[in-house]
Amino acid sequence: MRNLIAFLQRFRIFLVFALLQVLAISWYVTYLNFPRNQYLTTTNDISIQVLEWENDLTKHFNLSKNNTQLQWENIYWRKRQPQFMYQISRAKYKINDTLFEQQYTYIPAEVINSSVTRRNNYFTINVGKAQGIKKGMGVFCHEGVVGVIHYCSDHYSLVKTVLTKDINIDVSIQMKKSDLPGLLKWDGRNPRYGMITGINNDLRIKKWSKVVTRGGSGIFPKGLPVGKVSYTEPIEGQALWKVEILFSADYRSLQRVYIIKNMHLDEQQALEAQIPADEE
Amino acid sequence: MNVVTKHILRFFVLTFLQALIFNQLNIGFGIHLMIQPLFIMLLPFELGVIPIMGLAFLMGLIIDIFSNTYGLNTSALVLMAYLRPVVFKFYGPREGYDPLKEPTAQDMGTRWFSTVFGILLGLHTFWYFLIEIFEFSRFFFILQKTILSGGLSFLLALLVQSFLLNRNQKK
Repeated sequence: MRNLIAFLQRFRIFLVFALLQVLAISWYVTYLNFPRNQYLTTTNDISIQVLEWENDLTKHFNLSKNNTQLQWENIYWRKRQPQFMYQISRAKYKINDTLFEQQYTYIPAEVINSSVTRRNNYFTINVGKAQGIKKGMGVFCHEGVVGVIHYCSDHYSLVKTVLTKDINIDVSIQMKKSDLPGLLKWDGRNPRYGMITGINNDLRIKKWSKVVTRGGSGIFPKGLPVGKVSYTEPIEGQALWKVEILFSADYRSLQRVYIIKNMHLDEQQALEAQIPADEE
Repeated sequence: MNVVTKHILRFFVLTFLQALIFNQLNIGFGIHLMIQPLFIMLLPFELGVIPIMGLAFLMGLIIDIFSNTYGLNTSALVLMAYLRPVVFKFYGPREGYDPLKEPTAQDMGTRWFSTVFGILLGLHTFWYFLIEIFEFSRFFFILQKTILSGGLSFLLALLVQSFLLNRNQKK
């Protein structure tokens, strides 16, 4: 017993150090995948209040750029409104609402806090459980995908952006004939460039071909823009391409985002739960 | 000004400077400016290691909560606090430090300050990026980020130390 106390006395500095390190690193490792407590993220009451004040000050910096973007987006949709179009044949082209059913609905939100320089980057947005946000919903801006909801409190949420280590959004490359599926990754270097893995190198990829979401998992609708292929290189020893893409959205100055709510997601997931598990 | 008040003031000024300004700055090249190690450096000589580690933990916790890094800053700051007495002892005068002096560039000389603070900041930054990236195959990327971010943070710390905190001392 005396030996033990002497040991603790002698190494108490190191023991306190080890304890604090274990606390910090276990917090880091667990929260990267499953945040459990809102007080240890930016969605807690005090830090969100401070960040709101900061956002009130800094959101005007990009105001004219944001307004121009919204104006262009308005023009884009206005051009596609059927009532503003010239009808070529009145009998042939008409909107039949019973043939199409709305599958996705969108919730607008504002980015309050963001970072792009870290290995794992999160955005804090000002909608939460009160607006029907749940973990795992997709987030996009008008230029392209942003990420998925990582954690939500009552009125705020954290978005795990595509600028993280393991976002694993399934995207496909849009080409003239083939829809090649692949996984979107980020290597932590530049917030403008991402990577796609899992494309066999017997298929040809044209430079600057567009990359869009595939929509298989039900998080994102099909055809949301992601970026353009900027560089391809065969990986040594594997039959795969290393594909680098230029993101279509500039995440460094993002302020307005939309959250996607898939109204058929429960149905899809219930159906997919029927698949029998592999028995070893 | 009272010594305790001064350090409490520094704690809040540096924490919120980091959480609200330097976290939001985006310079490019993956540079991440860090000012919070300066607080650990400027604590008095006679303070024990365990209180310093406690303060480092608290400061890291606040910064982590504000920047969604979940314990990354805490871990790096606690490591720096743990190594601080070791480095101080190695570069200290033979008869020990004068308790009336402070570990600043004005009291101890620019050369001593830049050596000791450079080593501690380098270790802090290296540990931070090592845990953050955690891929040993990309060691040179970690090294590159450490050198770029550490170098700029060092210059920033010298500036903040001589302009912001020196004025407090003269009063």
